[in-house]
Amino acid sequence: MNAVVADITYRAMLGRKRIWLLALLPAALIGMAALLRLIGGPDEHTAVTLMQTFSIGTMLPLLGLIAGTGVIAPEIEDGTIMHLLAKPISRPVIALTKFAVAASLVAVFGALSTFVAAFLLIRDESGVAYGFTLGALVGGVAYAAVFMLVGVLTRHAVTVGVIYALVWEGLVGGYVPGARSLSIQQWAQSIADRISSSAFLTSNVSLGFAVPAMIIVTVGALVWAGQRLRSLSLTGDE
Amino acid sequence: MMPEPTGVIHDIGYRHYEGARLGRGNAFMALALHSLRGAFGFGRTARAKIMPLLLVTIMLLPAVVSIAVMALVKQPAMRYHEYAVIMQAVLAIFLAAQAPYLVAPDLRFRVLPLYLSRPVGVLDYLGAKLAAMSVAMFLVLALPLTLLFAGELLVDLPGPPKTGEYFASMGGAVILAVLLASLGLALASFTPRRGLGVASVIAFYLFTSAVTAVFFGVLMSMGEDAAAKWSMMVSPFFLVDSVQVALFGTDPSNGEGYPPGLWSCVILLAVIAVALSGLVLRYRKAASS
Repeated sequence: MNAVVADITYRAMLGRKRIWLLALLPAALIGMAALLRLIGGPDEHTAVTLMQTFSIGTMLPLLGLIAGTGVIAPEIEDGTIMHLLAKPISRPVIALTKFAVAASLVAVFGALSTFVAAFLLIRDESGVAYGFTLGALVGGVAYAAVFMLVGVLTRHAVTVGVIYALVWEGLVGGYVPGARSLSIQQWAQSIADRISSSAFLTSNVSLGFAVPAMIIVTVGALVWAGQRLRSLSLTGDE
Repeated sequence: MMPEPTGVIHDIGYRHYEGARLGRGNAFMALALHSLRGAFGFGRTARAKIMPLLLVTIMLLPAVVSIAVMALVKQPAMRYHEYAVIMQAVLAIFLAAQAPYLVAPDLRFRVLPLYLSRPVGVLDYLGAKLAAMSVAMFLVLALPLTLLFAGELLVDLPGPPKTGEYFASMGGAVILAVLLASLGLALASFTPRRGLGVASVIAFYLFTSAVTAVFFGVLMSMGEDAAAKWSMMVSPFFLVDSVQVALFGTDPSNGEGYPPGLWSCVILLAVIAVALSGLVLRYRKAASS
């Protein structure tokens, strides 16, 4: 970990328009929770639906995508990563630092807003709020690692990430049950299901598979990104 | 006393342009055509062609499968009017991948003044980009619909061909293309970075679909069917589907129906108007800077 690199990355992430994308979705989640409470449907089923479709299903992949690619892809795109790579800092350390920044942003914006929204709806009824908060936290960290790797691997990181989140997890995962076991979203739901005792929440993937898979994917993505940074070529396209 | 001027003008072969000046209309057409080609990756690098052609292929897949099913079991498989709603994720990805390409590089490299020093004005520039994006979105949706229709005519199912339904869906495709193009360009034009543009367009799509899903589910389970149907209007795809139902009388693709009357058309026009005014305001600012 390198404090200076982390500091610069934080400033790049929070100082530009990206903070709006980071802050808008959590704000919308809390707003929806408040609205649902106002129109009088704050039961457990509503809360689980909101958490599943909006928090874990929509906000988390997007936050992971924005934070994960945002910490490194713009620098690669405009070539300023050269100044960073030319410094005597080991490349895996750079990758680890960038990942730590992305993961902390997803944790603050994603997990915190998930907790606030769930708590607003049903307080701590059957542990829904705690379960989804932990699920969002762990899932967000995994998303940040994977999308940062994609950001290092390709110039079209955002498009590739969107296709993974939308087509694989959304479309294919909806029709092919086997695809669900290879989806970060479903792993996050397994963790939420473990902690929450709600009857409305059923997970498709067993916890014994989800937790090791999550750890392997996160660590693997980090190591690969670090290795990839050691031999990064900066040939432009378009 | 001044010395005699000794400069000599050499003729080094530069020529004046003496052909016809084609004017504003041709500049508009050239810009629109260039943008349309670019949206499908033509005239760009090989890597830029992968994504649009892949997405077009994915769009065609259900039509091909559907024709095969029609040929084998002599029954219609996929209906025309629900094609856009079923394939909405692919359409949204195409929009998110291509809308930023049309607007972001010109903003990023600050070449807008170069366009505007020609007879092309801000509105011409925007009109050309909007036309290109709309035609691109329309083609992506109209191609599989037309293929499906051609397949249906060739397979010759029992009963009359569903010509009316096909043309209604093509009408819906035009409306959807214009709505998506205005929304996509408006969202993408707010950032000069392409990655961020892709993320904002897709975030908008995911956000509206999730809001629709959550409120529709919750309101239906509370028994508030009328309010639940109104909540469908948040998603652009269901909004256009409801316009299609109201204008052309097709079956609703959401299984529940929409609020009665022409309110959906009013909402549609309002959304397009908001998106276009956002776009114009953004470019007024960009052109003056």
